[in-house]
Amino acid sequence: MSAATLPNLVDELRGVVGFDGVLAAHADLVVYECDGFVIEKNCPDVVVFPRTSQQVADIVRLANKHGVPFVPRGAGTSLAGGCLPVGGGVMIVLTRMKAIEEINLRDRYAIVQPGVVNAWLNQALKGTGYHYAPDPSSQGACTIGGNVATNSGGPHTLKYGVTVNHVLGVEAVLPDGRIVQVGGPTEDSAGLDLVGAIVGSEGTLAIVTKAWVRLTRDPEGCRTMLGVYDSVDDASNTISEIIGAGIIPAALEMMDQGILVAVEQAFNFGFPLDAQAILLIEVDGVEAGLDAQRDRIIELCKKCGAREVRQAKDAAERLLLWKCRKQAFGAVGRLSPSYCTQDGVVPRTKLPHISRRIREIGEKYSVRIVNVFHAGDGNIHPILLFDERDPEQIMRVLAASTEILDECINCGGSVTGEHGIGVEKIGFMHKMFTIEDIDAMERLRMAFNPDGRLSPCKMLPTAGACGMEQNGKPHEKAIVQIRPGRRAAL
Amino acid sequence: MIALTELLPLSDTLTPADQAELTQIVREAYVDATPIYPIGGGTSLDFGLAPRDAGLGLAMRGLKRVIDYPARDMTITVEAGITIDALAASLAKERQWLPIDLPNAHQATLGGVIATNTYGARRYGNGTMRDYVIGIAAVDGRGSMFHGGGRVVKNVAGYDFCKLLTGSLGTLGVITQVTLKVKPRPECSRFVACRVRNLQAADRLLESMVTTRTMPAAVELLIGPAWQNDAALGQLPAGEIGVVVVGFEGTEPEVAWMVSTLFNQWHRLGGNPVAVPDDQTEGLWTRLAQFPVEGSAALVIKASLRPSRTQNFIAGILQIDPSCDIQSHAGNGNVIARLSQFGSGGISNLLVGALQPAAVEHDGKVIVLSYNQPSELTRQAVWGSTGDAGSIMEEIKRRFDPKNLLNRGRFAYAG
Ligand SMILES: Cc1cc2nc3c(=O)[nH]c(=O)nc-3n(C[C@H](O)[C@H](O)[C@H](O)COP(=O)(O)OP(=O)(O)OC[C@H]3O[C@@H](n4cnc5c(N)ncnc54)[C@H](O)[C@@H]3O)c2cc1C
Ligand SMILES: Cc1cc2nc3c(=O)[nH]c(=O)nc-3n(C[C@H](O)[C@H](O)[C@H](O)COP(=O)(O)OP(=O)(O)OC[C@H]3O[C@@H](n4cnc5c(N)ncnc54)[C@H](O)[C@@H]3O)c2cc1C
Repeated sequence: MSAATLPNLVDELRGVVGFDGVLAAHADLVVYECDGFVIEKNCPDVVVFPRTSQQVADIVRLANKHGVPFVPRGAGTSLAGGCLPVGGGVMIVLTRMKAIEEINLRDRYAIVQPGVVNAWLNQALKGTGYHYAPDPSSQGACTIGGNVATNSGGPHTLKYGVTVNHVLGVEAVLPDGRIVQVGGPTEDSAGLDLVGAIVGSEGTLAIVTKAWVRLTRDPEGCRTMLGVYDSVDDASNTISEIIGAGIIPAALEMMDQGILVAVEQAFNFGFPLDAQAILLIEVDGVEAGLDAQRDRIIELCKKCGAREVRQAKDAAERLLLWKCRKQAFGAVGRLSPSYCTQDGVVPRTKLPHISRRIREIGEKYSVRIVNVFHAGDGNIHPILLFDERDPEQIMRVLAASTEILDECINCGGSVTGEHGIGVEKIGFMHKMFTIEDIDAMERLRMAFNPDGRLSPCKMLPTAGACGMEQNGKPHEKAIVQIRPGRRAAL
Repeated sequence: MIALTELLPLSDTLTPADQAELTQIVREAYVDATPIYPIGGGTSLDFGLAPRDAGLGLAMRGLKRVIDYPARDMTITVEAGITIDALAASLAKERQWLPIDLPNAHQATLGGVIATNTYGARRYGNGTMRDYVIGIAAVDGRGSMFHGGGRVVKNVAGYDFCKLLTGSLGTLGVITQVTLKVKPRPECSRFVACRVRNLQAADRLLESMVTTRTMPAAVELLIGPAWQNDAALGQLPAGEIGVVVVGFEGTEPEVAWMVSTLFNQWHRLGGNPVAVPDDQTEGLWTRLAQFPVEGSAALVIKASLRPSRTQNFIAGILQIDPSCDIQSHAGNGNVIARLSQFGSGGISNLLVGALQPAAVEHDGKVIVLSYNQPSELTRQAVWGSTGDAGSIMEEIKRRFDPKNLLNRGRFAYAG
């Protein structure tokens, strides 16, 4: 943005949201230079905090008027760089839109503003017999708007599905500043499924300003088990066996020894530190069937070589187990100054294979890798440990990451199960999709976002995706502002 | 069944043997600007608006292979022309299924079902096609083949074409290949039914499903002559308006417990529940699935409403046609009604003047599933309003099918 337009824009934005709704001082802006993906950084020119949909629309109109890009942001926990303000411009932070507008149990939905933190909704639902099912591990911080934009999943995805399976409708501000509602409190919307298009579009099609989300009945009961294994293969085989037996657990999570040690140091659960892998298995539903399912699962674990199978003895122990799992990433800080979490997916039956390959790749590049998997979905999160002060290590980590994700593609999988493409994985899009596929995606984006000002240079690798053309020329700033040395991370 | 040529103005029908041939056909049609009508099983070519321009029928029945079925991954990749029964037969070998109830399963194809986003009673416990399509390939209106999703159950790479194409009535692309997430078949299935005197009584039972400890697969309200003497439900005595039916599926102990729990629950509410005999269970599921396409009703409509408002909407329909047949997927707020009489004001008047405003009042919408005088139908009557997002839908259509060749004029787009 030119030095001349910025002051005008800032003044006009203050006119929309008030003085306290705008940040323009460099020291304040630095906070917003990246999200959970820290390899690429860029400061927005201005950060705005709207309180209403109309304010979002007005902000978008102003950005258009001044010809600058704009990018929505929730809590900034994205791990793929979705919030990176490529080309600078206006960052629209939705955290002040945090009202739960309605909870309707009879019709099984809630209406929430985008800045509502995932866990708040479930706190509000406590005691009603209902909950909101998508439960990303970041749920204590991330917003429902961010969940909708990234189509978040969590440990309970296996049985309950991802965010898109729980969103009935959204109100959104289009890149031209119009406010539209697609879907709503009833289940089928008219015409094309634009809800399905917007959910998971990583903030590149529209800015979500409200969501109608499906509420799910709390299961009557659950059984939570911990299978302890001397080999990762045995643990992986158990997963296939359980599912092959026709049981769909509510969750099926795997942690390997490396991560166990870190988690144990952090939470003192009492994990056996010499185990090579543990499986956290939960089944839920009506009480009547649960003991039988538990017994069957224990039998299958043993058959596959589990050393022991423990059961959470009470609700407190179950909660602690889940805390260990959900905060596993945090615990990794104890192992290494820096780490990089990957998010590949393989068909469930390929888990033993990919586990082996990860081990080999780690050895090949001399990178220590610990693993925590949403194993029931085949969604793997290898965590590569390194010291970011050593550029040579970074190169090896990047090379190892690429090789792991390439292997996921070779197995018929995906390079992202829940974190998204963002800026991080743009380089893989051509490996997963044909030119025609990407062209079709481009056309979908153009239908919503023809000027490309909403969140440019994300998700699609084609030049046009940057959409930063001005007067027919590519927007130079888009390229210049990204630190060249860091592009290696792509 | 009406002959194909009466439903579609076909100059010719081609039956490609594979995706490459199909792509080539669409490419040539694009050059010649020939409209294209994809044909699956042909069970519902009257769904949507009547086509006016002559064009090429593209029969999908040659694309019916199972490409890959890694049962342990609970996914299957098939070509879109496979019939629902053939798909079910493959899955049954591994004790798995696609838990979506569909009419005319021996004839209807997967591509047609996805294009129309058809679903039935099991929606309550299992969702719709939208929840099961995880990978899709289609040929757009220019003859360009594109894919979305993949073969793994969890995947957020790129835009979700699976969702966008589901329910698009083949207007953005001809669906050629699909990967589905599938489920293990439940061990056992049973129904509890309870007759009700009036809609208020039905509502009391239905409302109690909000706090029930059971986990139903289907929650239905059935009204009208079609259900008056059902083999599974028995004779409905005079003075009773209909029957609330709840289906349970799962393991034997789960289902037994849920049945007895619901019995007690409804007894406490003053109802008189009965269990559907085991040997009638399968038959009832089939009749629930077939309902929208059975009988000789002049008009079949489907409304989607807030579940709490379905009874109000049904009351309105019963005023228009007291003897109409109704199946409400009440737990989801869907109402399917087969009307045989609806006054003299004409179909548009009925829909645009009465039913659509009634649906909108309950935050919903109503569409026409079939009408015996298709040429009388207008877009507003069949599809209602697409709301303020209509212009985006048209923009998407224009970018995927620039010459407007695919099922021209049949869907919800304006213009
Ligand atoms: C420790 C940790 C654990 C995590 N675990 C999981 C997990 O289990 N599962 C999972 O799926 N993810 C996980 N994530 C990733 C991240 O938390 C999710 O992607 C989350 O949904 C992002 O929400 P947010 O509010 O932080 O969004 P942000 O990071 O602020 O934004 C994410 C993307 O959404 C866009 N966006 C945000 N709000 C809107 C809006 N209102 N309208 C349109 N676009 C918008 C942004 O532009 C950006 O592209 C984890 C992250 C961390 C740090
Ligand atoms: C009375 C009645 C009730 C119905 N009930 C419902 C309902 O409750 N909900 C609902 O949404 N639908 C409903 N339908 C639709 C119908 O049940 C399903 O659409 C049917 O199963 C489609 O299968 P088919 O293979 O016979 O499709 P066809 O009848 O051959 O085609 C149906 C439509 O899909 C298109 N199509 C077919 N194959 C493809 C393909 N591979 N790619 C792209 N487009 C394709 C066709 O062009 C056509 O427009 C109903 C239909 C009727 C007649």
